[in-house]
Amino acid sequence: MSAALVLRYLLRKSLGWLLMIVVATNLTYFIANFFLDPRANYLQLRPPRTPEQISRSLAQYNLSRDTPLLDRWWHWISGIVLHWNWGYSPVGESVNSQISFRIGVSAQLVMGSLILSTLIGISLAVYTAARQYRFADRFSQGVSIVTLNTPVVVASLAVVLLAIAFNQSVGSTVLFVAGAQSPTVSGFWPLLLDRVRHLILPTVSLTVISYAGTHLLQRSLLLDNINSDYVRLARAKGLTRQHAIRRHALRTSLIPVAITVAFAIPALFTGAVITETIFAWQGMGQYFIQTIGKNDIHGAVAVAAFGALMTAIGAILADIAVVALDPRVRVS
Amino acid sequence: MTGPQTQPQPGSLLSVRNLAVSFPSEAGRVDAVRGVDFDLFPGRTLAIVGESGSGKSVTAMAVMGLLPEYASVTGSITLNSRELLGLDDRQMSQIRGRNLGMIFQDPLSSLTPIFSVGQQIVEALEIHQNLDRDVAWKRAVELLDLVGIPKAAERARSFPHEFSGGMRQRVVIAIAMANDPQIIIADEPTTALDVTVQAQILDVLRLSQTETGAALIMITHDLGVVAGIADEVLVMYAGRPVERAPVDELFARPRMPYTIGLLGAVPRVDIAERRPLVPIRGNPPLLVDLPPGCPFQPRCPVSVPECGDREPDLAVVAGAAVDGHSAACIRAHEIRDGQIDGRPVYPVPLAPDVPAARVPRQQRPAVLELTGLSKTFPLLKGAILKRRVGSVYAVSDVDLDIRESETLGLVGESGCGKTSTLLEIMNLRPPQHGSIRIAGVDIGELRGRDAERQLRRKLQMVFQDPMGALDPRMTVFDILAEPLQAVGEADRTAIAARVDELMDLVGLNPEHSDRFPIAFSGGQRQRIAIARALATNPSLVVLDEPVSALDVSIQAGVINLLNELKVKLGLSYLFVAHDLSVVRHISDRVAVMYLGRIVEIGAVDQVFGAPQHPYTHALLSAIPVPDPVVERTRERIVLHGELPSPTDSAPGCRFASRCPLYLTLDVTQQTRCTSETPELTGRGDTDQRNACHFR
Repeated sequence: MSAALVLRYLLRKSLGWLLMIVVATNLTYFIANFFLDPRANYLQLRPPRTPEQISRSLAQYNLSRDTPLLDRWWHWISGIVLHWNWGYSPVGESVNSQISFRIGVSAQLVMGSLILSTLIGISLAVYTAARQYRFADRFSQGVSIVTLNTPVVVASLAVVLLAIAFNQSVGSTVLFVAGAQSPTVSGFWPLLLDRVRHLILPTVSLTVISYAGTHLLQRSLLLDNINSDYVRLARAKGLTRQHAIRRHALRTSLIPVAITVAFAIPALFTGAVITETIFAWQGMGQYFIQTIGKNDIHGAVAVAAFGALMTAIGAILADIAVVALDPRVRVS
Repeated sequence: MTGPQTQPQPGSLLSVRNLAVSFPSEAGRVDAVRGVDFDLFPGRTLAIVGESGSGKSVTAMAVMGLLPEYASVTGSITLNSRELLGLDDRQMSQIRGRNLGMIFQDPLSSLTPIFSVGQQIVEALEIHQNLDRDVAWKRAVELLDLVGIPKAAERARSFPHEFSGGMRQRVVIAIAMANDPQIIIADEPTTALDVTVQAQILDVLRLSQTETGAALIMITHDLGVVAGIADEVLVMYAGRPVERAPVDELFARPRMPYTIGLLGAVPRVDIAERRPLVPIRGNPPLLVDLPPGCPFQPRCPVSVPECGDREPDLAVVAGAAVDGHSAACIRAHEIRDGQIDGRPVYPVPLAPDVPAARVPRQQRPAVLELTGLSKTFPLLKGAILKRRVGSVYAVSDVDLDIRESETLGLVGESGCGKTSTLLEIMNLRPPQHGSIRIAGVDIGELRGRDAERQLRRKLQMVFQDPMGALDPRMTVFDILAEPLQAVGEADRTAIAARVDELMDLVGLNPEHSDRFPIAFSGGQRQRIAIARALATNPSLVVLDEPVSALDVSIQAGVINLLNELKVKLGLSYLFVAHDLSVVRHISDRVAVMYLGRIVEIGAVDQVFGAPQHPYTHALLSAIPVPDPVVERTRERIVLHGELPSPTDSAPGCRFASRCPLYLTLDVTQQTRCTSETPELTGRGDTDQRNACHFR
């Protein structure tokens, strides 16, 4: 299988997913227009505005109900296609600036814990599957079941309390419990260090609650393969048991785990609301809830479009993982 | 050799002393191996023979150090005077693959699916030798070539799923011999393979032995394979060796009643005489809390009260003709040539009298007639819209008939269309081409459900795996009553009486009919399956590999039962099996299939005694005979290559691509083979017909 073939395959897949994103985003636009009514935001204002006033202020953001829906849609979609402008909230904030800022924040928050929980989950699975039913296996399985069932609030608060105790015992604030960065730091290295110190706690709490899923899934998949004939043959060739498991059993059983992890990416980006709230991070999850609460049609649609994009990326990553892990898969 | 030894014999490569392996289980400690001693000498072949659960595979795994960690292993295993027991996994991994090579039973699952076969051989080389990538790859290709993989350089890049079972077993052998091991352990290496492929693989094994000079431990239940390959034989029963002797001595003068029983229970493909097989009664013991005394005593026909006192040691037989014949039986010295006190150890059962056989075949009514039966499967391509790109010609133009009280054996390699033929018959639907007549009724003219049900009564089937074919949640009573209810019997007392009668008929205690299938052993379950088939008084029973899942000593009892029932009830059988010895034993006529066509058909003794078609000839010569003297002198026609896939409907003989006769023909004759489809033709006076232009 040549590289050109792989590229063509990925290109075709990407085009398919692009179409899917376009359809999903437009569908969400119409649904959001049915369910979210920005006029409600103006009703509580004092002094009360007349419907004409409200309509006039909304019209400048392309949200006025007096304009027919199809006209608004045309205006909205041509703004995106021609100027990459995803519109404005009912109070005039640009969706573009919100999203572009928040993607970075969410990525920092989510990617670290995704990588960590995957690595920890898989290594723990390899270690425990080779020692099935022994103490290490039973113990880590017990811990995983507990953390899997710990609500994110509890995990985050526990992490925060531990960090505060740690800071107090050290005597200075080593780990920040809130925010993504301090406002006063400047310079590359100090800024990086500051970011890391802010990042540690949310990453730890997200990792704690999410590694167990990977661990338990990978463990059971490995156990299916560990006693297979081909692992036995690999040992008969002269590999040690650990080596045979890692080289022959792990690779075949990694495929379903890789797919699961890849498809978890979209949910992670928009689903970390509680963590973002507890640690006061301005991420995508928080924005998602905000836009719906504030009848921000354009913001909500942009979040949906972002979710669709993440799903597409997850699916393509899953495809790449399968092709990389299983050379039998012919690209066609 | 006198008594149990503790020191390895001088010159021995591998020496096993007092090896015992036990596993914890819910029922208690299972003593899978209970004291095995043997020595293996360079270049020699030791066969370990026994039925399932006799501990032969566990012994091999203990030598390899591949038993699960919860197994407790005691005794001593020394390789080149180095003790192997007690070495950890890292130290054992230095020995595995370099000194000890192993071949496993199931080639389909032995290779890692996601690595190419070349990579897997290279891995075996690189673990133990410091080789360059290129050098290792070249050596891997050489090894593949050596074990007979055509176009090895190209095929090394293929993945295991692109190979057939026989080819994958060759790859496994290549891996085992990669580092020129001193010992190769083969655990049932040919059990999962067709008989023609088995012959090829045994040849490759012999070759690998001469190439590497390795000693071979051959673990098998097949006495024919043992006779062909072994120098010395160790017979195991209930976790212990019960007899050890050089191969000729063992087959000619067995001393232990169990060995005698095993040899008597195997049908022979080379002997025409039809005497009933001699089954060993009962079942092997469970290896949990064995009572004192000889474990074979409950099944032994010549046991005496002293047998129950203590378990006999494997001791040298007094007055043995050759050195090194030992047996674990206190009466071993009394047993000569299978006889004790002038009487056979196993009394031979009386042959059932066949009244129908006295009526000439042509005058008996036909219960099954197939004329021009064909079945094709479409080959489809495309993700959503399937289009037909070709056909698999699974069954082509099959003509055969089975008369009353007659058994027709249908034989051939896997993929030859045996099962497709059976399914076409069992379907009770008009076939794509040709016609099927059962008990005089043409299936194409079958109208209405009642008529179908009436016909279904006449036609029953017994499957290969008795456990899979019996619903584990139904009692035996329900299992046997179901077909009766299905054909409309509603009277409960009549059903109960019939169930008792059926249980009695197949040799089971009618009182046990309230039990579930799990309470019965494999042989008993197959008897239940036979009873179920007989419930509706069929005239034709289709038997699909009915004994191949059973151990040899159990198999003989089921074969005898089938023969008895045939005589008693006037049944006809369509018997499909890959074991040609069994087919010869049980059948009156035999049909040999190759790629969907019948290539030879006739009375069993004619076809087996004087095969005419080159394929039949090759097939028969591939079957190992449990007699080392015969095995050594037999001429074997080893077919080259694999069974092609039957996607070609062009005229011509389908066997031409592998035919040994074809190679000896001149050009005009060869053209005839490839352009004209041979018909089944006979030589007039006999019943034997074959589909070859030149035979």
